[in-house]
Amino acid sequence: MKARMPSVRLYLTHERALLGIIAVVLFLILWEGFARGWWADVLRPLLGPEAARFQLKPIFISSPTRIARAAYRMFVVTGEIWKDLGWSSLELALGLTLALVIGIPLGLAAGWYRRFSYAVGPFLAALNATPQVAFLPLLVLWLGTGLATRVLIIVLLAVLPIAISALGAVRTADARLIRVAKSFSAGDWLLFRSIVLPSAVPFLLTGVRLAIGRGMIGIVVGEIYGSAAGIGMMINQAGSRFETDKVFVGVLTIATAGVILVELIRSIEHRVEVWRPPVGT
Amino acid sequence: MTVWRITSRMMNPTHERLLIGGGTLAVFLLAWELCADSGLVDPLFISSPSRVARAGNALIADPDFWNDVRVSASEFIFGYFAAALIGIPLGLVMGWSRRLSYILSPFVDTLNAVPRVTLLPLLIIWFGIGIWSKVAVVFLGAVIPIVISAFSGVKTNEARFLTMAKSFSASRVKIFGSIILPGTVPFIFTGLKYAAGRALLGVVVGELYAATAGVGHMIAEAGNTFQTDTLFFGVFIFTATGLIVVALLDRLERRFERWRPNAGATA
Repeated sequence: MKARMPSVRLYLTHERALLGIIAVVLFLILWEGFARGWWADVLRPLLGPEAARFQLKPIFISSPTRIARAAYRMFVVTGEIWKDLGWSSLELALGLTLALVIGIPLGLAAGWYRRFSYAVGPFLAALNATPQVAFLPLLVLWLGTGLATRVLIIVLLAVLPIAISALGAVRTADARLIRVAKSFSAGDWLLFRSIVLPSAVPFLLTGVRLAIGRGMIGIVVGEIYGSAAGIGMMINQAGSRFETDKVFVGVLTIATAGVILVELIRSIEHRVEVWRPPVGT
Repeated sequence: MTVWRITSRMMNPTHERLLIGGGTLAVFLLAWELCADSGLVDPLFISSPSRVARAGNALIADPDFWNDVRVSASEFIFGYFAAALIGIPLGLVMGWSRRLSYILSPFVDTLNAVPRVTLLPLLIIWFGIGIWSKVAVVFLGAVIPIVISAFSGVKTNEARFLTMAKSFSASRVKIFGSIILPGTVPFIFTGLKYAAGRALLGVVVGELYAATAGVGHMIAEAGNTFQTDTLFFGVFIFTATGLIVVALLDRLERRFERWRPNAGATA
């Protein structure tokens, strides 16, 4: 190994972070420049009036500083976004809870009883193949545009990943353990409680993680139709008023919330995984 | 009891699955029909299988309906194929060049965290309410899973093969073509299947949100005017499309997989 200059070594050890940061910063500068007309100014001597094409109206693309300012205003100065966040969180919490209450027993039962899985199989397959948001107009027809519709669309989106992961969990429970328990004449319930359920937990958490992503879609889609408050509604309204910076703030808020929730579940997953010896399936 | 035992002995699991699944489905449809016909629930709210079938029959003769289908299909096809065309090479290149992956992964990760349908208001500002805003949302929805799956396909390539190829001093191009690319095929197909669902979601949400034509638009319109039969038929079309696309991709995947010997548990 050749001796390298310290600066080069520093670069190589942090290459990943450095390259990532440089790329992001360049991207942001490029974006800001389009909104502020920096590039048009730079290119004017070269291109003449054609250079105006390199300046884009902020109502189209906003800019990083505008977004930051809008975020500051909405979170700190007026605090208007907290109400929307509250409503959307309520929808998500109710929707995910219902999806868990329905999805876990459904998936566990379908995994445990073969005949039951045959019976519900066609319905699950159909629901899985359908983009569940297509049911939204139907829900609006049944329940109006209130909270119930918005919660139910989240349930529809989130229930399948949960049910499927619960089903998979039962199916992949260690057959050796089950055989041992059976030969000691453990009943179905004991077997289920002491072997299947504990080994299902990591799978269920994976399902929940997927369900959160689906739920985020549900929040936005559910608020398309005349909702009074919520992040999705805020995004839609800002979009129709060409307040692009507010749209970006909303999008980034949802993304951040999603990442935080998913990371939360991941950390629980890791904790749960610790007790399990790494057995190959 | 004895009868049950005899019949169950005659049935193998596949038959049983078909019988129970089909039976439940038939019972469900029958119950639905009866609920509506007996007036137990107003058909205005739940329609019924026969009404949906009749509505479908009427729609098939309607040129407006075919226009909706054409619009939705073009949105799906343009967006999805563009996503595959750009996503697969991008994922492969990101997997192949470490530096490029460092540069691009912040953007891919960010887009992955954003539910792409939230970008619809922006896409509509940029592309209008015509077909192209929907193509864009379909593209964005589908491209991320494709990139990520192609990328992780390259990353999980069998190290044994790579070591061997290198020790026989195979060129980078050769390694890429004969080891990396074939090894990523299953991953790419997983991504493509997942992306198909995302693309369909994009079509529906985009058309519910703001559109002038399309099957999603038809559903929204039917909902607003209490044409529940038409609404169900539209949902049914999306279900059928989802099933068909996944079945096609499954078949394509099997074809690509045929050369592979059945070794190892890398499913």
